Amino acid sequence: MTRRGREVEVLLLAMLAAVPLYFNYAIGIVPLVMFHAFMAAITVRVALGRGPDVVPPVLMRVLAFAYIGFYVVDAAVISRSAIAASTHLVLFIAAYQPIESLQRNNLSQRLLTTGLIFIASLATSTHIVIVAFVLLFGFLMFRQMIYVSHMETIRVTGRPYALAPASRAAAFYIAGATLIGAVLFPILPRLRNPIVPGMIGALGNTTTGLSDAIDFNQSRTSSPDPAVVARVWISPDAIPFFTPLRLRGAVYDSYSGNRWLQTSDRRRSIRHQRGVYRIARPLGFARVARVQQVLTRTEGRLFLPAGTYAVTGLPQVLRGPTRDSYLTISRTDSVTYEASMSRAVEPLEPESVRVPAYPAGPEVVALARQIAGSATGLEARAELVETYLLRNYQYVQRPEDIGRTAMTTEEFLLTVRRGHCEYFAAGMVTLLSTLNVPARIVGGFYGGRMNPLTGYFVIRREDAHAWVEAWNGSRWVTFDPTPPALRPGGSQGGMVGSYLSALGESATYFWDRYVLTFGLGDQVALAMEVITQLRRATRASRASFRRAVDVATSPGMVALYAGLLALVLLLWIVPLRRRPAFELLVRHLRACGIEVGPAMTVEEALSELRSERPEEAERLAPLIALYEQERFSGRTDPGRGRLLRKRLAELRA
Amino acid sequence: MIVTTIPSPAPAPFAFDGVVRLTRTGTTFIIFTVVIGFAALNTGNNPLYIGLTFMLGSLLLSGLASKGGLRGLDVAIDDIGEAWAGRPADAVLRITNRSRLWNVRDIIITSEDIAEPLLVPQLGRGRQEVVHATLLFRRRGHVELKSVDLYTRYPFGFFMKKRRVSLRGEMIVFPRLLDEQLHRDRFRTTTGEQTTVNRPGAGSEVHSFREFAHGDSLRHVYWKKSASLGRWIIKQTELDVARAVQVLVDPYRPRGTTEDEFEQMVSEATTFVHQALSRGLDVVLQMPRVSLRSKDGQGAHSMFRALALVEPSAEPVHQAMVRNTVVFAVGERP
Repeated sequence: MTRRGREVEVLLLAMLAAVPLYFNYAIGIVPLVMFHAFMAAITVRVALGRGPDVVPPVLMRVLAFAYIGFYVVDAAVISRSAIAASTHLVLFIAAYQPIESLQRNNLSQRLLTTGLIFIASLATSTHIVIVAFVLLFGFLMFRQMIYVSHMETIRVTGRPYALAPASRAAAFYIAGATLIGAVLFPILPRLRNPIVPGMIGALGNTTTGLSDAIDFNQSRTSSPDPAVVARVWISPDAIPFFTPLRLRGAVYDSYSGNRWLQTSDRRRSIRHQRGVYRIARPLGFARVARVQQVLTRTEGRLFLPAGTYAVTGLPQVLRGPTRDSYLTISRTDSVTYEASMSRAVEPLEPESVRVPAYPAGPEVVALARQIAGSATGLEARAELVETYLLRNYQYVQRPEDIGRTAMTTEEFLLTVRRGHCEYFAAGMVTLLSTLNVPARIVGGFYGGRMNPLTGYFVIRREDAHAWVEAWNGSRWVTFDPTPPALRPGGSQGGMVGSYLSALGESATYFWDRYVLTFGLGDQVALAMEVITQLRRATRASRASFRRAVDVATSPGMVALYAGLLALVLLLWIVPLRRRPAFELLVRHLRACGIEVGPAMTVEEALSELRSERPEEAERLAPLIALYEQERFSGRTDPGRGRLLRKRLAELRA
Repeated sequence: MIVTTIPSPAPAPFAFDGVVRLTRTGTTFIIFTVVIGFAALNTGNNPLYIGLTFMLGSLLLSGLASKGGLRGLDVAIDDIGEAWAGRPADAVLRITNRSRLWNVRDIIITSEDIAEPLLVPQLGRGRQEVVHATLLFRRRGHVELKSVDLYTRYPFGFFMKKRRVSLRGEMIVFPRLLDEQLHRDRFRTTTGEQTTVNRPGAGSEVHSFREFAHGDSLRHVYWKKSASLGRWIIKQTELDVARAVQVLVDPYRPRGTTEDEFEQMVSEATTFVHQALSRGLDVVLQMPRVSLRSKDGQGAHSMFRALALVEPSAEPVHQAMVRNTVVFAVGERP
């Protein structure tokens, strides 16, 4: 790579480092756009073979001095945040340094500044896409660092030489650093320093899509927002009874000026027994659901599934600040708890319920009476109203589609007869009010989508929904006048789309659960798991060892060892005791009266034997020839050896 | 007497004792990592932990890569040319990377005997590289190349890693050659026609005949005479000294003289012999227990080798000397 190409890469790297800042709103967009525009201008100049001095170096130096004072103004007045002002400062330095490089080689400092921007981007990011960003940035950074190392070697030795391509090396080291990082990540201590609180701002706040009031004076629209609000696990045997899920968020039970409002309630802590916070009395079939939920920083409101009668796993649960809503206090942005649910719940204490004071006109009253007919029971009347709305009203998600952005509940009930879930719920509560049935609108989330890969329901902000709870005399019963097919959370994609969606959601879940919200508790759990697994493995290996020892010391095995030992000894001793063929021949010759001396060959002995006992010599000659062939032939022949031994045995016999 | 000593070379700017040194880049990076670590710990911000673990991973990997890379390197001497003290000598080093994992780059090779640091830009795993080195020895004699130092700051320049690699190389470094002007006047007695010195030795003229003795070479048997007398007769030639110079080196180092003076004397003798040979003269070098002759340049290597290895003697050594012998000694010859 040429020097110019490398310079362009350094500039682009600094620009890349700042890209996530656009999406996490850590600083304003204006300084970011200014930074990128300035750096882009420098990059273009450098790419065209000109210097990076978009601004004359002298002017840039003056600006640098001026920025010292500006930093204070920025921190105190403009951005009102030392962190944002420091980020602005780092961006300015990053823009200043390419021009400064005309005076001196400052590549290392530039990379350091780029690293600072990268950390600012990283610290304020929460989306999983940041992983890809980290890998790309790390790869490019490693390339540059290899180059810096190379240049430093040239400097100290004073002997220039070409740099070998660094891309493969950078890819290798990025893989290695990622691997080591993945191992280190769960190990590093998650301790917050209480002495210096919050040096760097925490994660950005999140909203849930629920409003404090349902204000029909304004246009109320719900836009598709895939942000995850909660994930809920329910055991497979409970799914048919507790789905579609309803996560209750807010209860709107009073009416004022075309607005449905929540009633304030005193905030009070709920006592727990062994970590269990009881909030209602269960009726019927009960199961436990595990809920992971995003918390709004300002409220900490819990979205308990409808039918929840007890909560565990939270450090604190409070009732309030509005009626029938619950809070928790947590330092993290999400909490995980277990909600014990039953098919129906009753209040723990007698509850004073009242009919919302809706100023219904005579037409609405007439409509309500027409719907209710002769039904007298509270629940029966509610069922009739629900059925009426389901059959005779049309669900329209966007108010613009019906030509009006805002309308009253009466207009919805009497003339328009079209609207979204809030109008359906408000219309039902209005009708029930005129029939003197206590009812309220419940805002929350409905349905969600089952992730088949992980087995949980994902509830997103776009699943926000409103339904109705009506009092039956002893408890609140859920009704939903919105046509089921048109409720949120019911949209279905194609198979591939659903699978990809589930896959992406699983990755996001993993990211949220095991990266973003990984904390001290997880570390303790991980350590306990490791210790448990180690103990288990130790126990298993000990048991295996004992079993192996028992088997090895059983009488049968001892007998087998003895047999094997005997076999080995036999195989070892027999060849030792087997006399060599020469010795056998010598013994036979001695028996024939021929003493074979130490310097004598069998051939010489045969000559002597031939002179003394010719017939015996004739008999022995072929055997001696066979022996010599066996002894001196370079080729081994097992058959020949066996034949020789056989003949010698015959001779001995 | 002029005593010239070659000063020890100044250590390279990157050289250091020990095995690892933190560079400026590394120091900055570690400070940066500590700051990020503090921020992560203080806020419990997991994305910061990601950055921190990545940086720690880079540090660890950098250390592992440079250490593992250097540990896999072997250096061997392939070839060394003629080496003279104080003069650059060519050598060929073969560097092999035995590692199965680590490539190494920017390798600097130094040693006190290597004139200039050597650079190996890149050495892939399982590869080897041949590097031409210039050696510079400060002293004559038997030199053992025991080790070279390998340095690298690859991959990220956080650390300068060093490894001392043992070498198996030994050689004889010839004595230092001095300025030619010093000995020009000593050649006045050595030029002229070929003469003999009336004593047996290597030459073409017959000096005498004698009985064969055990150990005599059969090449010197005078067959004609042996046949007539019926016993073996050896023909001795007379030592030729024409266009030859007889050099005597006396290794005696009297008390009160320094080692540098002795070295200077050896260097002067070597320079004289070197000049004589370059003028086409035959040289006879006489030293205690050894007499070496170089004719037409042949045998010069042995002569320089002897001069490279000569050690100072604490006691005077008697050496027979012919006329016109050029004597090299330290102090006054007894």
